[in-house]
Amino acid sequence: MPEQPIADKFKISPFLVLYMIMSMQIGIGVLGYQRIIVAEAKNDAWISVLVAGFALQFILWMIYKINETVNGDIVTAHIYVAGNFVGKLLSSIFIIYYFILSLTVQRSYLEVIQVWMFPKMSIFWYTLAYMILCIYIIYGGFRTVVGIAFFGLVLPSYLFPIFGFSLSLGEVNHLLPIFEQSIKDILLGAYKMSLTFIGFEVVLFFYPFIKEPKKSKKWAHLGLLLTTLIYTCIMIITITYFSMDLLAKSIWASLSMWKIVNFPFVERFEYIGIATWSLVILPNICIALWISSRLMKRIFNLQQKKGVIFIAMATLFAINFFPTRVEVNLLNNLTAKAGFVFTFIYIPLLFIAVMIAKKVKKT
Amino acid sequence: MSYRSLCIAMVILFLSGCVDKSIIDDINIQSAVAIDQIEGDPEKIKGMILIQNYLPDQAVENIRFTSTGKIRRDLLLNIQKKSSQPIVVGGLMVTIFGDKISDYGIAEYVDVYMRESSVGTRNYLATSKSSAIGILAGEYGPRGNATYLRNLIEHNIEHRDVPKTNLHIFLRDYYSRGKDPYLPEINGVSKDEVEISGISLFKGDKEIDVLPKNKMFYFKLLVDNYSNGNFLVTLDKHKTAMVKSIKSKRKIKISKDHPNKVTFEIHINGVVTEYTGGKVTEKVSKEIEKELEKKVNDECMKLLTQFQEQQIDPIGIGLAYKANIRGTAKKGKNWIGEEYPTLSFDVKTKIDIRESGVIE
Repeated sequence: MPEQPIADKFKISPFLVLYMIMSMQIGIGVLGYQRIIVAEAKNDAWISVLVAGFALQFILWMIYKINETVNGDIVTAHIYVAGNFVGKLLSSIFIIYYFILSLTVQRSYLEVIQVWMFPKMSIFWYTLAYMILCIYIIYGGFRTVVGIAFFGLVLPSYLFPIFGFSLSLGEVNHLLPIFEQSIKDILLGAYKMSLTFIGFEVVLFFYPFIKEPKKSKKWAHLGLLLTTLIYTCIMIITITYFSMDLLAKSIWASLSMWKIVNFPFVERFEYIGIATWSLVILPNICIALWISSRLMKRIFNLQQKKGVIFIAMATLFAINFFPTRVEVNLLNNLTAKAGFVFTFIYIPLLFIAVMIAKKVKKT
Repeated sequence: MSYRSLCIAMVILFLSGCVDKSIIDDINIQSAVAIDQIEGDPEKIKGMILIQNYLPDQAVENIRFTSTGKIRRDLLLNIQKKSSQPIVVGGLMVTIFGDKISDYGIAEYVDVYMRESSVGTRNYLATSKSSAIGILAGEYGPRGNATYLRNLIEHNIEHRDVPKTNLHIFLRDYYSRGKDPYLPEINGVSKDEVEISGISLFKGDKEIDVLPKNKMFYFKLLVDNYSNGNFLVTLDKHKTAMVKSIKSKRKIKISKDHPNKVTFEIHINGVVTEYTGGKVTEKVSKEIEKELEKKVNDECMKLLTQFQEQQIDPIGIGLAYKANIRGTAKKGKNWIGEEYPTLSFDVKTKIDIRESGVIE
């Protein structure tokens, strides 16, 4: 079945890709990624972040190449490479992938709320409310989702300068000497960055919705670059602010850093930060749900409106099976591994496959 | 359809907001804590929690709760039984550890501050010269004891001789492999007077020594990158000058060729605030500069050798060493036992006296 062309009124301007990528990438990982990277790369952890960021630029280039070659999204690419049935079978894996991703984000954020603010917060009711909000947004169509991505990035951006408070207590000696760790450790750190960095691959799924996709390329790369720089900055500030052994104990280093912030009108800034963060993760969950339901539509011809409700209900059901830190951690690790396999192994493989298929089909 | 779903969304949003409330008038916010060890029993502690009650006429009343317990939480539990309103820890300003407990080790009491998310890291820790509860039992100023103590420490850090400290800095140094923590020591002079009586030096979490007041300025010069404070210099019998440092910089230099030699470069910009010998001419100010440089060099050297003998490193030489000499971090923890005692120090001070007040 040929893909139906997307009408122009549903398409988005190329520059909005930047917001899509950045708001999908910046999510729950930022609150506590430092500890995980530092465990591998010690004081050179910021180099790991840079390395991972630049490696991903290459992957992003592959993603665009794939999309351009088949002129469609990942389902088209799969069908192009492996035929209709296998192609759709492969694509349906990503329904589960994005379902798990939204589950991880939702549950990790709830954990933060429970630990930092309200220990009695009910998982079920909060998720229900959040899911209804997401369904409502997705019912507004793809353009609404992009709009949320825009606001989910712009409105909370005032949080970033707040990290400057920690600079005044920073100790540059913690960073030195640069390149103290072995290349292996730095690369291991870069590998551990996957959970924090994943999200830019959403281009694979909404490519047909971009007006003049060629023009969006530079915005996508710029978005990825900006995220990389933001992560590197936060990493450097964190390393100077904490000593290694203290950082190893801080599960949410970014939140711990906000504990030093003190304004005359607000005693504890992290409460504002955590509350604002619900806006940061909103596009995360919305985009993930949108992709899941969109894939359902493409593969099973299921109406997207029904698909969203199905996925949301599944999330609502599944989230109850992760009651404590141990399970949440397990879920996080699983998602990080899946994300790594998807971006660094699957996409290059798909890229090669598409290139071969293209050659074969030409001759 | 969408209107109805919006309604449902709103209802559920508001309903899910029903979590525990803490209304500020209905809770007691603990603002200062003092912990003492009960004599003879290291397992038992006695604590006092101070709550500031803001009265309608803007005065502040100190409400105190005292109890004993095994760990800090236990203490709080026992105290909760005495309080008519729930006690919360979010507004903590100062924690004072008694002399015996700081000798015994304070790590287990600090643990709760790391674990508890509602405690900010900007609040102050301090030790006391004698009983910590004795300090909180006094009455200082109209704004409440906790505010008084916090301001006491705060302004001494900003303008006087106490090096930068707060909960975060203590934790950072305690968990650092190249630095030992220190805390200001508070002494209750009388029922309505307290003073900062020195700096408690820690090895791990145990207090092993206290720097007296007159050495605090030199200690601050060595510890903080930027600092200001006052110091006195005697030129001869009748000529004494008080110099206020307005800006100072400190650098620790370790060259790769001579890793055993650590050089401190201290640069102070100061003004003469008091001079008993008459006119401050250029000659006199040069003399003061020279005399001061000598004094700072001597005092700092004394401190450095003292720390070396005590095998503590409150200045963070270990950190600087690790940062300058590659591969130190990999050798691990034994730096302080093996390499630290072999180091030799050098202090190079440069003092610029800028002004001598509004008179000549």
